Amino acid sequence: MTGDFLALLPKTTFPSLSGEGRHPTPLEATTVFAFHCAEGVIIGGDHRATAGHTIFSDHTEKILELDSHSLIAIAGVPAMAFEMARTLQTAFEFYRRSQLQTMSLAAKVRALSKLLRDNLPATLQGIGAVSPVFAGIETGDPNAQPVIFFYDPLGAHFEAAAFAGSGSGMITIKSVLHYLEHWGPHPAEMPVSQAVVLANRLLMTAAEFDAATGGVHADQLEFATVKLLNAQGIRTFSPQEQAAFWKDAKL
Amino acid sequence: MIEEPYRWLDAISNRREYIRDRLKGGTPVFAVSRPEGILLLGVGQGQSKVFEIYDRHGLAALGHPVDIEKLRQAAIEAAHLEGFNRSARDVTLRRLISFSLSSTLKNAFEQIFAPPIIVESIFAELGDSPAQDILARLHYDGDHSYATSRVLVAHRDSAAEAEAAEWINDNLTAADPLPKVASVCLAAWQLLNEGKSFQGVSVPTDTPPQISGKVLEVALLDRQRPGPAYYRPLQFK
Repeated sequence: MTGDFLALLPKTTFPSLSGEGRHPTPLEATTVFAFHCAEGVIIGGDHRATAGHTIFSDHTEKILELDSHSLIAIAGVPAMAFEMARTLQTAFEFYRRSQLQTMSLAAKVRALSKLLRDNLPATLQGIGAVSPVFAGIETGDPNAQPVIFFYDPLGAHFEAAAFAGSGSGMITIKSVLHYLEHWGPHPAEMPVSQAVVLANRLLMTAAEFDAATGGVHADQLEFATVKLLNAQGIRTFSPQEQAAFWKDAKL
Repeated sequence: MIEEPYRWLDAISNRREYIRDRLKGGTPVFAVSRPEGILLLGVGQGQSKVFEIYDRHGLAALGHPVDIEKLRQAAIEAAHLEGFNRSARDVTLRRLISFSLSSTLKNAFEQIFAPPIIVESIFAELGDSPAQDILARLHYDGDHSYATSRVLVAHRDSAAEAEAAEWINDNLTAADPLPKVASVCLAAWQLLNEGKSFQGVSVPTDTPPQISGKVLEVALLDRQRPGPAYYRPLQFK
């Protein structure tokens, strides 16, 4: 009766921490990021999943909507990351329906922390590390602003003042976002049309230096996954919308 | 005592009588399948009669508030576990009732030394079209049936339920807007509460009348909603 969906599930059993064995090659890499723009939080990511030097898929969706007002951007081992997202989606809806109220933003942030901590054995074994970015907004508060949190693989969470990101390509674009934040043009003042173009340019920059990040090919309508979060909820930008912004963007 | 068959039957009969007596204080709830979706209606104290269960599923119930809550939680838990372990499309009303809720209610009813579950309920499952909608009537003893018409009423008296459902069906067309549907259900609610006959009663106006001291609880499993959750509460001015 507590609204805790996880309590209904049997406990996950991980393999023992001791003992030697060949570790499977994890699927990872990725670039996902979130930053504040004038109309809310932009959250974006590439579509590539790799296994070692092999491109496993170029159509992977890494920005997942957890409910109408929260999102997760996943980086790390997909098997764990997708399961965490699915667990959170169900847990948030279960809480809302059973308790007849939405879960607070703080509880959502902590729910992800708990899943990461529960995943510790797989993380330590090097077969299941997940390092996500979370964006959400408190519902029911007319003055609430969207916030961005990033996590370490052990479950610690940190609120990002301006931007956050994860994945192997993030090292590259972190510098770009830091530069823009300090010397402009400031992403936080950008209208959504410019912010969407920035998201794609960030991804192109990451892909330039990181083979494990999928790029953007505007001529083939291949853009980043880009979503906007604000008090109205979540808006997903279709490739056609992004193409229109891309075309109108000043060089 | 209950090892003797007669004693057991006697105890069950007393239990049934007790539950029916307790249900006399309850007021009816309604489910109507419409082109827009499935409308659920009850009169209570706000979030006390009509509930969301899962993406395409809703509940309307009368009875003891604690028992309504037990049934609601059991349904929500079963639906979410199934949806998580398999997929949202695998959560179906027939499986939910046959394999989970019905047996739980039957067991509770036959445990004659434990407190009974005092609840009468309607479960609804939204389909892609009205023809695929499913309305189920679940009784306190686990007995259940599926609606053969587009209207289902839960009340303490099954004969009155059937009469009310037929009257609502006869007084609605596919083109009627949702306020009219709610208005007709509410008129039936008043007639059932007062124990009056439906013979010769005219169709009410489109606007649902206000009920002093209580809250009209209406929700729609909305076919036009983008999903995955189709349930939304309705407010009529």
